[in-house]
Order: sequence, then structure tokens, then C-alpha cells
Amino acid sequence: MRDVFCMVEFGIEFVPRDLYWKTTFYAIQAEKIGFDHLWITDHFNNRNVYVSLAIASAYTERIKFGPGVTNPYLVHPVVTAQAVATLNEIAPGRVVCGLGAGDKTTLQMVNIKQRKPLATIRESVHIIREITSGRALEMQGAVFKVSGTKLNFKVARPIPIFIGAQGPKMLALASEIGDGVLINASHPRDVENAMTFIRQGVDSAAKKFDDLNISAYTSFSIASNYDKAFKAVVPVVAYIVAGSPEMILKRHEISVEFAGEIRDAIVHGRWKEAFSRVDNNMVEAFSICGTPENCVDKIDKLVKVGVDQIVVGSPIGPNMRKSINMIATEVFPQFKEAVGEKRI
Amino acid sequence: MALEKIARNIPESLWNIASEKLIEITLNSPNASKMPSDLAKTILYYWQRDQLATEVGLHRLLEASMILEPEKTISLMEELGLSEIVVMLKETV
Repeated sequence: MRDVFCMVEFGIEFVPRDLYWKTTFYAIQAEKIGFDHLWITDHFNNRNVYVSLAIASAYTERIKFGPGVTNPYLVHPVVTAQAVATLNEIAPGRVVCGLGAGDKTTLQMVNIKQRKPLATIRESVHIIREITSGRALEMQGAVFKVSGTKLNFKVARPIPIFIGAQGPKMLALASEIGDGVLINASHPRDVENAMTFIRQGVDSAAKKFDDLNISAYTSFSIASNYDKAFKAVVPVVAYIVAGSPEMILKRHEISVEFAGEIRDAIVHGRWKEAFSRVDNNMVEAFSICGTPENCVDKIDKLVKVGVDQIVVGSPIGPNMRKSINMIATEVFPQFKEAVGEKRI
Repeated sequence: MALEKIARNIPESLWNIASEKLIEITLNSPNASKMPSDLAKTILYYWQRDQLATEVGLHRLLEASMILEPEKTISLMEELGLSEIVVMLKETV
């Protein structure tokens, strides 16, 4: 048993690429084994995040859930406010709203540029918070202008807003205005680095550090055999390497040129080439991957640098159901009190 | 013979293993999109209530796996030594 026993929460991310009933099946499984949060990604080319969340909420009773994350470039914050407020009616007190500046590659597909990301996120959070509080909103922002906007129904309780962040300025902003920050990182070094900017944000808002939920939104792959876990995580890591800023690549001693070659291979659909270039160092830098023992060690390190929630993100493992069961039987006992049946 | 009656012939001692294997067949089937939505929702209902390893749960899992993977389902019943059920299932194909 780790000394961080019971202090850390666990979230799980599902990508609604799968049929709705499979995602819902895994959501039920995640709740049964004791996950605290369910995050569903929001990309227009997958199934709709709010429809997926609505059905998952109907088949679960305890787990907190929300978009992980939506973005205000494709979805106007008044619509996000409406969606999470409606979910909150279905499952009162269980809804959280994950918001971020969006995925550049997906936004490019619909010719949307990530203009003024800091102002866009700041204003979006204000809009969502005000509208879900039931107040009428007048706002002439740098990005959004709304006039007398108000929901025609009441929202029973406040909906916490978590902000996805990776760069220094977004991390500081997320910590200043968010109820939680979702750090796009799987490596303790990246999380440790992020803490500097998180503290800046908390200080500028004059709020208590402990009032902020700090989550590591990881890429995760668990299997009884390291090679199987590695194989499953490679495509995800290839995308992360391709999209990572120079500063982060250098922190992990990954050649910027090499990352550029992976990006080029992905952009031109040369998947085999892109994936074959992913090595152990990249997987170590950008994922929690391996046997249960490997995963427990890395989670332990993340918790020790101050993470409140570990989000077990895509791909989770080579076999979703078995990997979730493995988390229940091999990982949770090191960090959490038992919840229900261990193996389902 | 209706699948409901066939499911009733699965001995209680095999409910857990049969349920486990039928879930795997169903979740990992490349034909998963053939699953009728009403049946999927019924399975989710029983799953939420921990009833997939019961007579009613097995009936629905059997129904799903016979739609998605009839051959694998019949092979599974053979593996479990349920020769009568194998015959019954073959009659439904």
C-alpha cells in the first residue's frame, strides 16, 4: 500500500469512436470498480459527447462525468452551458465541465483557427459560470459578445469547470479561473514543471491551493505483458510527439526534427512509418504504460508531485474490459479503498 | 427453440463463466454494429444491476452473441461441454 492511499482520485477517459453501447458498458464498469470521474472526449468526427454522456449518466449512479474536453471554437460557450446544465438535471451534482482550447488538427479540418486562446478560455469560463448560475449575462468581451443571455430553466447547483492546459500561460490561467486543471501530461517531470505555473495562477486569484483540483490527464496502457501495452499505446504517443511543443520535446530529449518526421508521416497518412518511429523514450515521456507494477510506480510518482486526480486516458490497454479490470485488481488497491466487486 | 428456453438450460454452475465469455464475444465482435439498439439497452440495464450472470442476463447475452457471432457462440457452448445447447443453437441458425 502506498503512502498516498485514499488521497488520490481516478478518472477515466473514453473516446466515443466506439458504438454508444460499448462506451456505456465501459462507463458502468468504470463506476463499479470505483473510478471517481468519467471524461468523454469531444471531437466532431466521433459520436456526440453530450449524447454519450447523457446515456452513460442514465446507467450510472455515482460517478462524476463531463466533456473531457470541449472547446469554445466549435461549440459556443452558451451552448456548452446549456448542455452541462441539462446534464445536471439528469444527474444532479455529478456533472463537471471540461474545457480547453481544442485540438489543432481537428479544428484545421473545419478551417477554424485557435485565435486568442487565453482570452477565449477566460471569457468562455465566465459565460458558462454565469449562465449556469442562472444570472442574465451582458458581456462585451474581446472574443465573445452576449447580450441578456439567460437559461429558461434553473440549475440546481454549481457545475465545476476544469480547464485542459499544457503551456505555461494556459496552466496559470486554468489555475486562476478554474475549479480544476487538467494537465496534458503523463510524466512527473512535466507535472512538476506545470506546478510552477499552477502556483502562479492560484496566487494571482488569491485562492487556496488545496481548493484547486489538479489532474494529470494521461495516456495510459496497461496489460500483463509490457510489449502488449506498448503496442497499444504507440499510435497515441505518435500523435502526442507530433503535436508537442519544442520545449516539451527537449525536456524529454526527443529530437525536434525526429518529431517533425513523425508529424509529416501522420499528416500524409503513412501510419506504419509514423508508428514505427515511436521508441521507448517517447512512450516513457508521454504515457503511463506497461505492467500493473510499471503503472503503479508512475502513478505514485505523479501523486507525489501533487496530483489530485489521475485520468486514465486513451488507449487504456489492448483490451478495454480486461485493462479496466486490471486497474481494479492491481492498481486501485495501492491507492484507494475497496469499492464493490474488484473484478467485473 | 427460443433463446430464452435455451438459456434456461445453462447450468447455474456455469453462469459466471458463460456470461464472462459471451460478454467478450459481444464486445470484441467486428460485427458489433449489428447489435439491435433495444437489445443493447436491455443488456446495459442488466449490467448496471449485476444481472448478466443470471438466467435473464444470459438470455440477452446469448441473443446478442448469436446475432453478432453465431459460430463463436456455438463453439463456446461446445467448450463448456453443453452439447444439448449446441444442438439447440444450431437449430436456430
